[in-house]
Amino acid sequence: MSKVLTTAVLAVGLALPATAAIADTADKRIALSNNYAGNSWRQAMLKSWGKVGDQAVADGVIAAADAFTTAENQVTEQAAQIQNLILQGYDAIVINAASPDALNGAVKEACDAGITVVSFDGIVTEPCAWRIAVDFKQMGKDEVLYLSEKVPNGGALLEIRGLAGVFVDDEISAGIHEGVAETSGFEVVGSVHGDWAQDVSQKAVAGILPSLPEITAVVTQGGDGFGAAQAFKAAGRPIPLIIMGNRHDELTWWKEQKDASGYETMSVSIAPGVSTLAMWVAQQILDGQDIPKDLTVPFLRIDQDNLEENLANTEVGGVANVEYTLEDAQAVVNAAR
Amino acid sequence: MAAARTAARLATRLLERPWLWAFAAAFLVWLATIIFTKGQGGGEILSAALAFGTFSVIVGIGQMYVITLGPGNVDLSIPATMTFAGAASMKIMATQDSMIVVGLLIALACGAAIGVFNYGLIRLMRIPPIIATLSSSFVFQSAAIAYGRGIKIKPPPSLADFTTARIAGFPILAICTVILALVMTVVLHKTVYGRSVIAIGQNARAAKLSGIAVDFTRFVTYVMCATLAGLCGFVLSGFSGGASLNMGAEFLLASIAVVVIGGTSVAGGFANIPGLWGAALFMFLLVTMLNTFGLGAGIRLVMTGLIIITVITVAGGKSTDR
Repeated sequence: MSKVLTTAVLAVGLALPATAAIADTADKRIALSNNYAGNSWRQAMLKSWGKVGDQAVADGVIAAADAFTTAENQVTEQAAQIQNLILQGYDAIVINAASPDALNGAVKEACDAGITVVSFDGIVTEPCAWRIAVDFKQMGKDEVLYLSEKVPNGGALLEIRGLAGVFVDDEISAGIHEGVAETSGFEVVGSVHGDWAQDVSQKAVAGILPSLPEITAVVTQGGDGFGAAQAFKAAGRPIPLIIMGNRHDELTWWKEQKDASGYETMSVSIAPGVSTLAMWVAQQILDGQDIPKDLTVPFLRIDQDNLEENLANTEVGGVANVEYTLEDAQAVVNAAR
Repeated sequence: MAAARTAARLATRLLERPWLWAFAAAFLVWLATIIFTKGQGGGEILSAALAFGTFSVIVGIGQMYVITLGPGNVDLSIPATMTFAGAASMKIMATQDSMIVVGLLIALACGAAIGVFNYGLIRLMRIPPIIATLSSSFVFQSAAIAYGRGIKIKPPPSLADFTTARIAGFPILAICTVILALVMTVVLHKTVYGRSVIAIGQNARAAKLSGIAVDFTRFVTYVMCATLAGLCGFVLSGFSGGASLNMGAEFLLASIAVVVIGGTSVAGGFANIPGLWGAALFMFLLVTMLNTFGLGAGIRLVMTGLIIITVITVAGGKSTDR
C-alpha cells in the first residue's frame, strides 16, 4: 500500500516539473460567486468570465471556471451559495459580493477550509480575502477635473447619483463634491437619484429640471447619461455637457451628437471584464505568487478621439468592455507592490 | 336657497369620495414645490408628472382589479411581464415602423400568456396568488434575460415620437390613458363582469352561491392585469428609448402604492379608478418636491414613507365607516 503511494507521489513529483512551465494550477478549480445578473453590466461581466474562463480551461491553465449567480441579490442567499461552493471543493472562490461585511462569516469559513477568496467590484472586508477595489472617489473627481478643463469658467452642475445607501454611490458623489471644492466656479444646483438606470434617471431629471437654472454640465455615475439627455430634450432645454458611463446607448447618443454638432464629452466606468482580472489574480495566488491583499482596478475611460473605436467594440445594448489577460493582471499586481 | 343646499350636498358627496385625498395631496405637494421655486416651472412639472404617471396608472388599473378580488389577491409578476413584453416586442420590431402593430400585438399576447400561466398556477396548482405570481415572475424575468441578454434595442422612430408627443403640454399617452381609465371605470361599475369582481371581493362565497362565475371572473382579471402590464412594457420601451432588463423594477411597489393611496380597499371589494391618477401624480410630485428641496437621500426616503403613511391614514379614516 505505502509502496503504491510512494510510487504515485513520485510519479506526480516527476510529472509536475514538466507542466510547471504552463502552470501549477492545471488541476485547480475556480468558482465565481455573483450576487446579481439583472442588468447589462452584470451580463457582460458574466459573459467575459465565461469566455476567458473557458479559454483558460481549454489551455490547461486551470481545471474549471464555473459561474454561479444568486436569484434575489440577498446576502443570506449568497452566504448559502458560498457554503455550497466550499462543500463542492473549489480551490478558489471569486466573489462579487452583495454586502461588504455581511458575507464575512461565510468568507472566513472558506478561508479556514483553505480556499483562496478574491473579491472584486462588490468587495468584502474580511481580512483573509483579497480585494480588487475600484477607486470610485477618484472616478467622481476625474469627472469634475475634466469639466474644469473643458469649461474653465465653471457653471451650474446637475448631479445624478446612483442607488441611495450604497457605498459606491457615496464614494462617487464624495469624489464629485471634492472635485467641485478643489476647482473654482462650479456649483451643484440639483441632485437626484437615478439608480444607475436610464429610465429612473430620465424620470428624476424630468421632475427636477423645470425648477433649475440653465445647466452647464451633468455629472453622472454611469447608466444614467442617456436618460438625462432624453429628459433635457423632452423639456426643450439646451443639452448640457453630460458625462457618460460607457453604456452602448450613451456612446451611441454621444456619437450622433458628435456627428451632428461636434458635441464633446467624456465617458468613464469600470469594464465588466474586471471579473477576468479577478480570475487571473486568483490563478496567480493558487500558483503560489505573493500577491498584495489590496489591488485597484483601472478605469476604462473613453474620450473624444477614441469614441468610434470603443463604440465599434461595444456590443449593442452592452457596456464598453475589456477582457484582461494574465499579463494585465500581473501589471496590476506590480503596480500595487 | 335650494341652490345653496344642492351645492352643500354636492360638496358633502365630493368629500366622501375616497379618491379626493390623493388629488388633494398631489396638489399640496405641487404647490409646495412651486412656492419653493418661486413659481418657476409649475406647468412643466405637471406635464412631466402626467407623462410619467401614465405608466403607473396603466399597471395600476390591472393591479386594482386584481386586489379588488379580495384578500390575498395581488399580481407580483407585473415587473417581469413588462420587461419580457418590452424586450420581446422591441426585438421583433427591430426599429421598423411598419412592424409597430405587430409589436403591440406581441406585447399584449406576451402579457395575456403570462396571465393565463399565473391563473393556471393559482387555480390548477392551488398556489396562493402571492407565491404563484412571484415565482412566475422569476421564470419570465429569467426568460427576458435569456432572450435579450441585456440588449437594449431602440423602438421604431414613430413609436418613440408617439409616446413622447405632447399637445399643448399634455402628453398624448396621458390623454389615451385617461380614456382607458374612463372605459375601465364604466366596465367596473356598469358591466356584469365589473360588478362580479366587486361582489367576489366583498364575499366570494356569497358571490358563488348567487350564481356568479367566480372562476371565470378571476381568470379574466388576472389575464387582463398581465395584458395591461404587457401594454405598459411596450409604451414604456417606446418612451424611454428601448427595453432594459430592470425597466419594470420600480413598478412592483408603484402598482400597489397607487392602488392603495388612490383609495381602493386592500381587503378587496371596493375599488375606484380616479384615485389611481391622483396617486400616480402624487407619487411623482412627491419625489420631485423632495429633490427640489435638495434634501439628503436618507431624509428623502424617510419623508416619502411618512407622507405616504399620512395620506393613507387620512384617506383610510373615511372609508372605514363604510
